[in-house]
Amino acid sequence: MDSAVSRRSNIKIAVGAIVCEESTLKGHITIGSRTVVHPRASIIAEAGPIIIGEGNIVEEMAVIANRLPAGAPEPASTPVMIIGNFNVFETDSRCEALKVGDNNILEMKASVSREVELTNGCVVGAACSLTEPETVSENTIIFGSQCQRREMNDKPYPQVGQIDYLTRVFPNYHHLRKPNMKIVKEPAI
Amino acid sequence: MAYLFQPDYVRYVCSCGSVKPVSKIYFCRHCLKVRCGYCVCHEVDSHYCSNCMENLPSPEVRLKKNKCSNCFECPCCFQTLSTRAAPAPVRAGGNPSVEDTKSLAKPPPKKVYYLSCSFCRWTSRDAGIPDQFVATGGWPEQENPHLARIVALLEYHKILASRERQQSERKKFHPKRTYMQFEKFAMSSVMVRKRAGLCPLPQSQQSDYPQPAVASEEVEELSPDIFTQPLDITKITTLEQRLKHPDVQAEEINQLRPQHKQFLMKRSQRCRVCEHNVCKPEYSPQSIKFKIQLAAFYHIPEVRIVTCEPLRIGQTSELLLKLCNPTQHQTQIMLFPLSTSITPTTVTAAGTKEVDRENMQLGCESPNLLPSLVRQITVTEDPKPLKLSPQAEIILPESILILPPRDDAAEYDDTGDTHNFQDDPKLVVWRKGNKAVIRLLVKPNEDEQIEEGKEITVGFVMQYGYVNTIATLEHKEPQKLDLKIKLFLSIGKLVGST
Ligand SMILES: [Zn+2]
Ligand SMILES: [Zn+2]
Ligand SMILES: [Zn+2]
Ligand SMILES: [Zn+2]
Repeated sequence: MDSAVSRRSNIKIAVGAIVCEESTLKGHITIGSRTVVHPRASIIAEAGPIIIGEGNIVEEMAVIANRLPAGAPEPASTPVMIIGNFNVFETDSRCEALKVGDNNILEMKASVSREVELTNGCVVGAACSLTEPETVSENTIIFGSQCQRREMNDKPYPQVGQIDYLTRVFPNYHHLRKPNMKIVKEPAI
Repeated sequence: MAYLFQPDYVRYVCSCGSVKPVSKIYFCRHCLKVRCGYCVCHEVDSHYCSNCMENLPSPEVRLKKNKCSNCFECPCCFQTLSTRAAPAPVRAGGNPSVEDTKSLAKPPPKKVYYLSCSFCRWTSRDAGIPDQFVATGGWPEQENPHLARIVALLEYHKILASRERQQSERKKFHPKRTYMQFEKFAMSSVMVRKRAGLCPLPQSQQSDYPQPAVASEEVEELSPDIFTQPLDITKITTLEQRLKHPDVQAEEINQLRPQHKQFLMKRSQRCRVCEHNVCKPEYSPQSIKFKIQLAAFYHIPEVRIVTCEPLRIGQTSELLLKLCNPTQHQTQIMLFPLSTSITPTTVTAAGTKEVDRENMQLGCESPNLLPSLVRQITVTEDPKPLKLSPQAEIILPESILILPPRDDAAEYDDTGDTHNFQDDPKLVVWRKGNKAVIRLLVKPNEDEQIEEGKEITVGFVMQYGYVNTIATLEHKEPQKLDLKIKLFLSIGKLVGST
């Protein structure tokens, strides 16, 4: 009981966020308003806290992890993972990048490693993986079996309709974690 | 069925000499021979668009350059583009009062359409193509930069064709006249004049001849900044993207334009010897069924490798094979060494007789109803010599294996009907329905220098009983035949020597 309370208190969920009970949340996590975390999604803050912004969708089997690579020395300062607003982490995608901007999409089975920085409006296509350290410039799409790259004309639209739908539907079918954090400021959109 | 697409461990030798898995070969029921994609005639039945399923007659297809006029392909990843609707941008300016009264009277549900790729998210907006106000059509066509040259060459070839036609028609009317002889041998009038000792006429009639292409060694210089400017790989096209549209070969991503989708075709395959179809799909593009599908796995017993013990030189290993009878008739299987002749035989009262359907069938009842002018002339080739040689000896049984006919209901029957076959217990390991597992012994050749880890192949001739249900002039009743086919099996890698 005591451990459950302390585990709970590490997780801050803003009012308006939909976080399913069946999701796996470990460590210090802050989840912003209107963010939807599906059942069976995992957010694992092992090496340091994870701060997730507003309007993100984390689909089932997606993993967001702040995790040190195996055998890496303990860093001097605690690494903080910051995820911006209106990102979509599709089914079975894996994000370990410490910095994720806004309006990015990780498609099914996409994988982004720790040393990668996603700026804004990037799309990592289905089954594409980024493993080498780099900063992905804005509106880049990575697609296909050869991980081809192109700069898009426009960033992907925020999935507002989908967020609204999930916000309406999830409470009817799933147990939710209770929000425990008041909104400090008005949401951007 | 997934195993049909796996690596070819068991391969059958086609009558043309090529070696293929059972899923890739046909069985011509008329010549009773195995045929494959190399030794049949391929005929185009119909052209269709795989996206909108439109089906066009071939002259129209030629006119449209084998491309669908409605569907587009992503120039970036080659998937089909879909049309997306978006609300039209509100246009400011003009006469506000008139606009306001109009919009109050009836709100115009204005929409614009653009093309979008759902895979790589390329849109027609990326290419700077203006949005359209109608959902279908109206997209600007990309002009081929070499159009003028192509048209000139086409025109010229049309002239050549008509001249040739005129000549051959003249030939037809006066085939024996000696003075026409020169034209018969395609001599030009210039040559005729030369022969007659006259000086050639000045060449004036050749003005319609287009300028011939001139090969040039000079290549455009690279701009010097190619060595200094950092390369932005997100903005240049790949080789594949360029070669997909050889007429334009855009170098930059933003020069890519949506391309019309290419038609696919349905084709039928015809046996070259007896001219019967071995495969004919249904005409409709929506249908995935066949009118005729004489695939070998409906007629020839299928052989699968169950297990093979590790192979060592000079040591016998056990090889388990599963045989399956796909036909509606009982079959008896015997295995022979590779050197056996594979001519089909039939057992009659007089004894075993060789059957050669191929020569018997030829010319007597050709199913090809097209007039002989239109019909494709079939060219039959002699079979290629087989280059495969087995690296292991296989000890073949002398007893016969009988497989009952296929019975789809028996698959769900667990009562274990054993059919009471008098099986050789040394040969048959397991049996159920129309399937049986047999045990053979293999021994990698000692005299050959085989390296460790090398794939070992064995081969044998399989004789199987086949019931021919096609009534012919001589045989009205189903005819029982013993057919033979050569098989090669990759049974595993050599582990070492003893
Ligand atoms: Zn063949
Ligand atoms: Zn089409
Ligand atoms: Zn595409
Ligand atoms: Zn045939």
